Amino acid sequence: MRNAFSNALINAAKSDPRVILMTGDHGYALFDEFRQQCPEQYINAGVAEQNMVGVAAGLAKSGFRPFVYGLSAFVPIRVLEQIKLDVCYEQLPVILVGDGAGVVYSSLGSSHQSTEDIAALRAIPHIAILSPADSYEMTQCMNLALEANQAVYLRIGKADLHPIHSCLPDFPLGDLSQIKQGNSKMCLVATGSMVKTAMDLSERFGDLEVWSVPCIKPMNVSQVVSIAKRHELIVVLEEHSIYGGVGSAIAEITSELSQTRVCRIGIQDKFSRFCGSYQYLMKEHHLDTESIFKRINKLNS
Amino acid sequence: MFEVGKLRKTILDMAYAGSTVHIACAFSIVEILAVLYRSHLNLGNGHPEDPLRDYLVLSKGHGVMAQYACMLELGWLTDDDIQNYFSDGTSLKGLSDAHVAGLEVSSGSLGHGLSVSVGLALGAKRNRTKQKCFAIVGDGELNEGTIWEALMFAVHFKLDNLIVIVDVNGYQAMGSTQEVMDMGNITDKFEAFGFDTLEINGHDEHLLDKTIHELVNSHSDKPKAIIANTIKGKGISFMESDNRWHYTRLTSETYHQAIAELSEKEVISLP
Repeated sequence: MRNAFSNALINAAKSDPRVILMTGDHGYALFDEFRQQCPEQYINAGVAEQNMVGVAAGLAKSGFRPFVYGLSAFVPIRVLEQIKLDVCYEQLPVILVGDGAGVVYSSLGSSHQSTEDIAALRAIPHIAILSPADSYEMTQCMNLALEANQAVYLRIGKADLHPIHSCLPDFPLGDLSQIKQGNSKMCLVATGSMVKTAMDLSERFGDLEVWSVPCIKPMNVSQVVSIAKRHELIVVLEEHSIYGGVGSAIAEITSELSQTRVCRIGIQDKFSRFCGSYQYLMKEHHLDTESIFKRINKLNS
Repeated sequence: MFEVGKLRKTILDMAYAGSTVHIACAFSIVEILAVLYRSHLNLGNGHPEDPLRDYLVLSKGHGVMAQYACMLELGWLTDDDIQNYFSDGTSLKGLSDAHVAGLEVSSGSLGHGLSVSVGLALGAKRNRTKQKCFAIVGDGELNEGTIWEALMFAVHFKLDNLIVIVDVNGYQAMGSTQEVMDMGNITDKFEAFGFDTLEINGHDEHLLDKTIHELVNSHSDKPKAIIANTIKGKGISFMESDNRWHYTRLTSETYHQAIAELSEKEVISLP
């Protein structure tokens, strides 16, 4: 998925000299190719993320198309006010890229983990939130971000799990993407890294319908209502706090417009306690397939 | 145009009409703005939305009434805007707001404007325009860490079209800058960061004029800074360096007293 991001970025920069990549001293090998092919369009702004977003706003006002890259623990969290005031209030087309979302940086601890970024940005006007599940969705999300001419947050989670699609999905900004059809009264809706888990769970439960949410904001309300009307229970999976994330967004829509129950499966109101591998941390937060399988079984019993 | 007594009168009129605060913050930068608008800002075609005019970023957004006063002189604002300041449904806010044509940034949340200025200056250089970017920051605003991030960036990327003017009036919201957060020698700090820096009296129009000219026309590839020593509430005896005027509103009595002081200096006529 990171290769798809890097390739899309290089293509964008080569076809449009206004594209500028800014990084707060992060990215390392990810940008080797970009630096080689588009050296004039690369800016390392140093370990100073807040200034970087302000500078990006100034560049956007001057007609450039800045990408601001950082770990999602810092972009958007450390720079939230700059995003609100310098970028979104003026409706500037800055594309913010937060890498390592969720608990990807498991062994580094809470400073580098990001389980509140969606919630923080959902309340800010004039910004789209994209969260691709595989390299195909990433390519399409980059297309949408570049076409959007508005502020966009691109959330990159665990990158190397498994392909979800077999070709480029052609969803417009706001749409959910159907991954699997099913006939059960329950369906699974997931974003980012959790779409793979949803696929695994779908197989274990037989014929569950599965949807990916590559666009968290805006979200196609009528599509969500249509899904809700066909199911009694929607289980939402996300590597993010249960507060303010995709589960909340789905629940907000369904509670107003349908009778359907929504179960939010994400990170509870707590930080990671222990050090460990990504798989270990996902288990600690009960986001591994087995834990979710048990949880859904309880819901159905 | 941009006669400082008249600008101060406009500020008083606005503050009185809208019953607003931050009068003293605006008064300390009147000469700086007057000199910039009078002699140094390239206003392009004279329209506030001309994309090729020079930038003037008021990072210390609390002083925005001083900029409104200049915009009235330019015809970018009207007498109605001044008299209806803070009326329901009007556009001019108590802090700088980029939705107003002629203002570059939304500031007042401090430490934002300078970073955007750096982006504007970098954008101008990359676009190969001749645009300069003047950024006015307050000495209290220097408490914000983003200011120092922006200074590092500006020097590293050789933004010689950026001119930072620090309004050193010695006060911030809750007291003197020395009491609240002593910044030490500001000129030394800017020089240490790599700016071409000059320290002057920020109310001396002739000196401001000369200094800005000198810095703008230097052949150095460094960004420039003017450390302008000013007086908060300058021009009104009972406001000067009395920090209560950061938040105090004018009464009928203090408004007329202030206007009378300005007129005694034969710079304005009474209303």
